Amino acid sequence: MRYKFGEPSGRYIGHWGKYHVYADSISEIAPDGYNDLPVHKMAPGEFNFQYGPSTGGLMESVGITLTTPGELINSVAVDPSYKARSLKLKGKSIGEALLLVERINGFHAASNSLSFLMAVEDALDLEVTVEVQKARILQLELERIRSNLEVIKRLCEPAGFGVPTNQLGYLREKVSRIISGVAGHRFFFGANAPGCSRVSSSGINEKLSEVGQEFQRLYAGLLESKIFLNRLQNNGVTKDSLLTGPAARASGLRYDSRTVRGELPYMETPFYPVVREEKDCFGRFCVRGEEVLNSIDIIASLGSLKETVRTEIPKGSGEGCARLESPQGDIFYYVQLKNGSIEDLWHVSPGTLNIRAFRESMKGNIFTDFHFNWESFGIWISELGVVIQ
Amino acid sequence: MDIRVGGGYSMSNFWFGEGIRKGKKTERFPFAPPEEPPERPSRMEGSGEPYCPTQAIKDGKWDAGRCIFCRFCEPGYTPTGKQDIFKVNRTEPVLKKSFYIYKLDSGACGACNVELETIFDPQYDANRLNIFITNSPRHADAIVVMGVHTDGMKEALKNAYEAMPEPKLIISMGACSISGGIIGESPIGREKYHVEIAGCPPSPYTILEALARARGD
Repeated sequence: MRYKFGEPSGRYIGHWGKYHVYADSISEIAPDGYNDLPVHKMAPGEFNFQYGPSTGGLMESVGITLTTPGELINSVAVDPSYKARSLKLKGKSIGEALLLVERINGFHAASNSLSFLMAVEDALDLEVTVEVQKARILQLELERIRSNLEVIKRLCEPAGFGVPTNQLGYLREKVSRIISGVAGHRFFFGANAPGCSRVSSSGINEKLSEVGQEFQRLYAGLLESKIFLNRLQNNGVTKDSLLTGPAARASGLRYDSRTVRGELPYMETPFYPVVREEKDCFGRFCVRGEEVLNSIDIIASLGSLKETVRTEIPKGSGEGCARLESPQGDIFYYVQLKNGSIEDLWHVSPGTLNIRAFRESMKGNIFTDFHFNWESFGIWISELGVVIQ
Repeated sequence: MDIRVGGGYSMSNFWFGEGIRKGKKTERFPFAPPEEPPERPSRMEGSGEPYCPTQAIKDGKWDAGRCIFCRFCEPGYTPTGKQDIFKVNRTEPVLKKSFYIYKLDSGACGACNVELETIFDPQYDANRLNIFITNSPRHADAIVVMGVHTDGMKEALKNAYEAMPEPKLIISMGACSISGGIIGESPIGREKYHVEIAGCPPSPYTILEALARARGD
């Protein structure tokens, strides 16, 4: 297994139950200050405003409690448990477990399923060809482009910025259609199995290049739209270093699982971690914008990829884990197999750290800042509200 | 990276120009065939009794509301690209000129949530068919239920339904909501839905046509 149980080693990735995952180890020891989020004591004149779980302004069901004297937000609590789903994974074969793992977060199904499959391959000591590894990069980067377009679109929406909102929606749908052509499904469902990848990249570079050119023009327009930028700058400033994904990179931290050698061959592509220093919504917006363009360059460098099919899923025993850079940040899977069936499985979602950072960064802001800040983290509740059985 | 719009532009002119420059991007669907229908989800055709993890294939019949398009049944069954995988049990022609939907995520993976939003993107533009999203069930003509049953959302679903004025439609979107799919149970039971939109998740084409047909189009 690539990761060892023991003392904390490397930067913090996140936790599942009693396990805390670091860049190089799994430990039962939490990082300093992790459990020390201050408890807010209600001051005279303050009240709790309940937002959600079901309301039009939120993509998914989530309960948010804002503590405020009227305008200033002094504390935020986020409850992702309303839509908690029980997934019966233990005892399932790898193929059937994969169907459930894909649906832990449908919008980031490639990140979840590939991280799970790489953990399975680690457990079974399976060799994966360079062709398949490149096909996995293709999927992850297509997913990142679509996810980042979605986040930027959702940043434009609360500003009432109709033209870019619609044009970003148009581009996002173009990418969904590219994914559908590449993988036979708009969300990569059923496109992967251990050691193989049912994706083909024929003819996508031209379409992606068009998306890139159109996005570059929109992004340039947004960067010069001062009224829009005013909603993002100094909104949701992160103060912590327990961050992941675009939120970390927007805070000057060079955290990106794609830089890890031995997982996927990103170093053979034009990949570079986009790092900004702003620490606010604007920084997160810029990181995502530049990552869209970098992901298009990465895909162009992969060359032509053909479908690889392996029909037989090997039966074996062992434990393994893997970490990938999903559009939200580090995603980690641990699996334990017995005769080809799932004995134990857990995962670490980047949403845990992102919600923690969102709560901290929301203090001192006002309600009109809320949606910009929430959307800038790109949090998916479905990944957090999961009970694995 | 140096990215600039170009000198001399006022930003309001830039965005106005961008809106015009792109031209009309909306497809004619549902008045013409879909321009780029996805392979999956779409109507499956085939024969035999292949293994199906959700029992969507039983006695040689394919049940769209159970299918998660996992490819376990292929090549015995193959996707046809046909997007007509919905069922309308009740229509409300009174809603033809204004149809407001309230979306409720009972326990979805997020894919249905995104596809429902997609029907308002320029390629589909549901607004041209007088279909709109409302943020409150009190203004809704239909509730679109996504995802499986979860204990935490049971009360929210009941409250939202009771808050809606008559006439009201209950629309089930996706295999999880219709039959429980691969994950669990349907939030309210299949027999209670007025419209079933199949898929995992349903494609925007299927959603758009099903919503239009729910008004008797």
